[in-house]
Amino acid sequence: MPPTNQRRSRRTFRQILGGARRRVRRAAGKARSTWRRSLQLQVVTSTMVISVIVVVVLGTFLFGQISKSVVDSTQESSNSEAFADRLQIADALAPETDDQDKTTDSGKQGSANPLDEVMDTITGSGEGGTEKRYDMLVLNRRLPGASRGSGTVVPGDVPANLQLGLQRNIRDQQYDEPLATTGKIRFAEEGQSRLTYVIGGVVHVPTSGESYEVYHFFPLDEEEQLLVNVRLAIVVVGLGLVLLLAAIAYLVTRQVVTPVRLARQAAERLAAGKLDERLKVRGEDDLARLANSFNEMAANLALKIHQLEELSQVQRQFVSDVSHELRTPLTTVRMAADLLYDAREDFDPMASRSAELMQAQLERFESMLADLLEISRYDAGAATLDLDPVDVRDLVLRAIADSEALAERHSTRFELRLPNEPCMAEVDNRRVERILRNLLFNAIEHGEGRDVVVTVGGDRDAVAVAVRDHGIGLKPGEDTLVFDRFWRADPSRARTIGGTGLGLAISREDAALHGGWLQAWGQPGEGSQFRLTLPRTAGADLKGSPLPLVPPEIEMRRTWRTSMTPVLLPAVADGGGYDED
Amino acid sequence: MTRTRRFAAVTAIMAAVTCTGSGCTVIPLSGPIAVSDVGAGDPLGRPFQRMIAIGPQREWGPEETIKGMQAAMAAYPDDPSVLQQYLTPEAKATWNASGPVTVIDDAFEIVAPPPGDGTETVQTVTLKGSSVASIKEDDSYVPTAGAWERPYELVKAPGGGYRVNALPPGLLLTASDVDRAYRPTNLYYLNRSTQDRLVVDRVRLRMKTTERFAQTVLERLLQQPTAALQGAVSTSFPPGTAIESVRSGEERVVIDLASPLDPLDLSAEDALRAQIRYTLNNNDVAKGRIIEIQVNGEPYAVDRPNSDEHWLDDSGDHAYYVSRGAVRHLGKDRPEGVVPGAAGEPREGYSDFAMSLSKDGPPLVAALTTTGISVASLTQDGRWQEVIHGESLTPPTWHRDGSLWTYDRDNAVLLRYDPAHGQAPERVSAPEVEKLDVTRLRIARDGVRVAVTTGKNTVQIGALTGGGTMLGNLQLLTTIEMGSEITDVAWGDDEHLLVLVQTKAGQILNEINVGDGETTGVPLKDRLNSVAALDDRILAEAETEKGTKLLELNQDRQTWATKLETDAGAPLFPLG
Repeated sequence: MPPTNQRRSRRTFRQILGGARRRVRRAAGKARSTWRRSLQLQVVTSTMVISVIVVVVLGTFLFGQISKSVVDSTQESSNSEAFADRLQIADALAPETDDQDKTTDSGKQGSANPLDEVMDTITGSGEGGTEKRYDMLVLNRRLPGASRGSGTVVPGDVPANLQLGLQRNIRDQQYDEPLATTGKIRFAEEGQSRLTYVIGGVVHVPTSGESYEVYHFFPLDEEEQLLVNVRLAIVVVGLGLVLLLAAIAYLVTRQVVTPVRLARQAAERLAAGKLDERLKVRGEDDLARLANSFNEMAANLALKIHQLEELSQVQRQFVSDVSHELRTPLTTVRMAADLLYDAREDFDPMASRSAELMQAQLERFESMLADLLEISRYDAGAATLDLDPVDVRDLVLRAIADSEALAERHSTRFELRLPNEPCMAEVDNRRVERILRNLLFNAIEHGEGRDVVVTVGGDRDAVAVAVRDHGIGLKPGEDTLVFDRFWRADPSRARTIGGTGLGLAISREDAALHGGWLQAWGQPGEGSQFRLTLPRTAGADLKGSPLPLVPPEIEMRRTWRTSMTPVLLPAVADGGGYDED
Repeated sequence: MTRTRRFAAVTAIMAAVTCTGSGCTVIPLSGPIAVSDVGAGDPLGRPFQRMIAIGPQREWGPEETIKGMQAAMAAYPDDPSVLQQYLTPEAKATWNASGPVTVIDDAFEIVAPPPGDGTETVQTVTLKGSSVASIKEDDSYVPTAGAWERPYELVKAPGGGYRVNALPPGLLLTASDVDRAYRPTNLYYLNRSTQDRLVVDRVRLRMKTTERFAQTVLERLLQQPTAALQGAVSTSFPPGTAIESVRSGEERVVIDLASPLDPLDLSAEDALRAQIRYTLNNNDVAKGRIIEIQVNGEPYAVDRPNSDEHWLDDSGDHAYYVSRGAVRHLGKDRPEGVVPGAAGEPREGYSDFAMSLSKDGPPLVAALTTTGISVASLTQDGRWQEVIHGESLTPPTWHRDGSLWTYDRDNAVLLRYDPAHGQAPERVSAPEVEKLDVTRLRIARDGVRVAVTTGKNTVQIGALTGGGTMLGNLQLLTTIEMGSEITDVAWGDDEHLLVLVQTKAGQILNEINVGDGETTGVPLKDRLNSVAALDDRILAEAETEKGTKLLELNQDRQTWATKLETDAGAPLFPLG
């Protein structure tokens, strides 16, 4: 059944999701790597995190204290104002409770409503009165015309719980227990909520038995604005403080890290072979002493290396000289041995067998000597390339033809995977053939009679040949050791094809001479694969290889296992990509 | 000493100096420093208290219900819903709040019908009180007097309590309600004929919770004046002008008008600024502040405080008096000699002098003689010249345009003589006056209002309407009891009229606000013959055993000081 559009779109979405996840993972990996690598970043980040925590804790505490003191003082003054107003109202509504003097001269006030008079005084409605910062309500729901208000407040603005509490106080005859509430009140006249502190108290007139609910509405706009400004200031100052501390941490760590970084760079350059690299020494502090020590170490190291180089040079020269010197007597010995070998049938069996053995060992000795001479040429830097544009497929075929005999002896078959188009590259025929022969011989020798797969691939910049065997494979770490001189996977194992132990070392030198790579992959029980990657133009920089180092079937199996049981399988750290160098 | 130790020592010294200098205070000590005088902005409003109406309660009887309803009427403009709760559906359908507001005394009583058997559903109760005033629909406050009563029909409500079944339209307020919710307010319009002088119009404005007092006042200023000044004044606001906003900044009050006024046409700018400035300032709003006027959001004019006073200017307070028929100057503290010309010469038969206000030349003095009214210029060659003939003319009064006015009682005509043209006196239409017994006529210094005494005991206030071509809009100001007599009237400032009354018990001098009839008594000690006033200054001629003396009311407005002991009387101020 052909895939429907829906499935395609789902796949696309999944791909997008996967891509995004990969990108995020990559970015996180980069960040983690940057974090791990930068001491300065670690110090600055730690300083920032700690100072943010300190600033947040301090800011919260500070703001809480300021807020509390502002609100407390406002509420305190509001309470006292409300209390004074209630006293005035109580005084005005119960004139008979005043002292005698007041009652005698209050005759002219008799006609006016005492509630009006006291409200005029409290609200500043009288002559020359000034506007109060609060509004108030005096409510008596039992007596007609005995309720007053100032400003815009109406009875509906009183918070319900406050009103109920006050009415309960009236019922319980608890007249001296004012209640207060702070809340956003949506005033009917204004249509918008305002933070208000509302105090409700009862004024009881014992003579008439009337109780007046007195509500004061104190706007907290100014206090709210003040606290908003304080909070803003704390946030800005805190932010500034954090940034300042981060900057200080940056500058301080820079003083320490910069010399350390310079030391690291110098060490890297030193490691890269620039033995005359030294640090500048400034001052007398610890870092200066570190630089001094480093410079001394570098000097000693350079001296030792120089000595070692000289020694190595002497050794190489010695090997080269020995090889050369051995050739002449070897040639004579060889000629004598050939004679003995040719006449072996005339000898008794013991002598005949000895002649054969001598012949074989002499051949091996000769090839070993040739390899030693070749290596000596490399060590002396005398190796040169004889470049010709060739089709790599032809080189592979020729190398296979040379290996056919050995393969037959081991019952090994070759499986060739060659591209249809020519794979042209500028290479030295002889050296590349030698590399391929070496790889094929190795594969046959370690392939345990199983098929050897030879794959050729190419892209715009490079060509690659991969030789895959299905033998015992390589243990972890052996993929680099195989290229060491005279390295042997199992020292007890006999060489069946008479290898010198220098083949892969020479092959690697050959590949490097082309500017190419020779890499190995192997896994116990899975066989191994050697990949030769050469630039199409000799000397060009390689950016990647057209063929994978890890065989595709292994990679697929690993991916499948990872996706099925991601936790159970340990991550394999060998090169899985195409472009490792 | 190492560097570190030196650094530590310097730091310690600096900290000690700082701590000592600041006195370890939380608030740093400083100063003296220059501070800005800018205030926090004019509130543009005035605090006031409101009646909070409570709906009818079940336990209330008829008396409480009527009182509650009256209280709900007092709160009606703020919250109309409560009054509706007192009304039956029928009453709700028929009642409306339009019409004049009736103001009664606080001490009213509710007369309930004799108790029935408890089954009657309709009860008629009567509200009895004394009438105090009426606030007309043009916001004018007209004092009234006398008993007032009104019956109300109450119906028992299904859940208990009562509802009012029938209610005459209009609101009923007590005097306390008016004091609480209304503010006496002066509005300033332009003299329609001369256009150079503001005329005050007094109204009672209800305070609104939804807007500031400044806006309420200005919105009222954009409307027509009260009936007393209809046709007599004009306004510099073109028709269709509205108040967009009144804002108070730190430095100035910004008034934004939505008006067809052209912002580039500044012909009315001066008058408009004056109308706004005086209307706000004389009602205690935006006093001493810069007023910026915007038209449709565009700056139009900026008015600075005390920038121009000529709109209410009464041209100084130079006073005169008459001694043995000669007009003399009266300085602040002492007499300053006779006026030049014939008016300064002693002469018999001249009385009721009146001084004109001349902007360009010397003033003119007019006097009543047995044959008419004569006028003399206060110059060296000034001679008395009879300009209006008549044997029964009222004392002369000068208009600020320079014309001389009198009323010919024989012919019942109002006469106007203009010395600048020198022609015969012309008749001025005064249809409302013709039927009355006019005894005195005094034109106010604003050139619009005219105080007319009719008979012996009534003062009416009219206005010169139609550009000064007619005397109309007569309204009763005060009536005194029979047997008493008004002996003199004089304009104080534009809104106060001094009325000297001789009653059987003695003399009374009242200062009456012509806008709302508010009366203030001035204590008297001597018997006065005549008074003259200009703004806060009041001069009077008192009769003594030796003749007459000149008195002046002290600043405390309680006691009189003698200015001239002998042979001095008939004090005069220009105009009024």
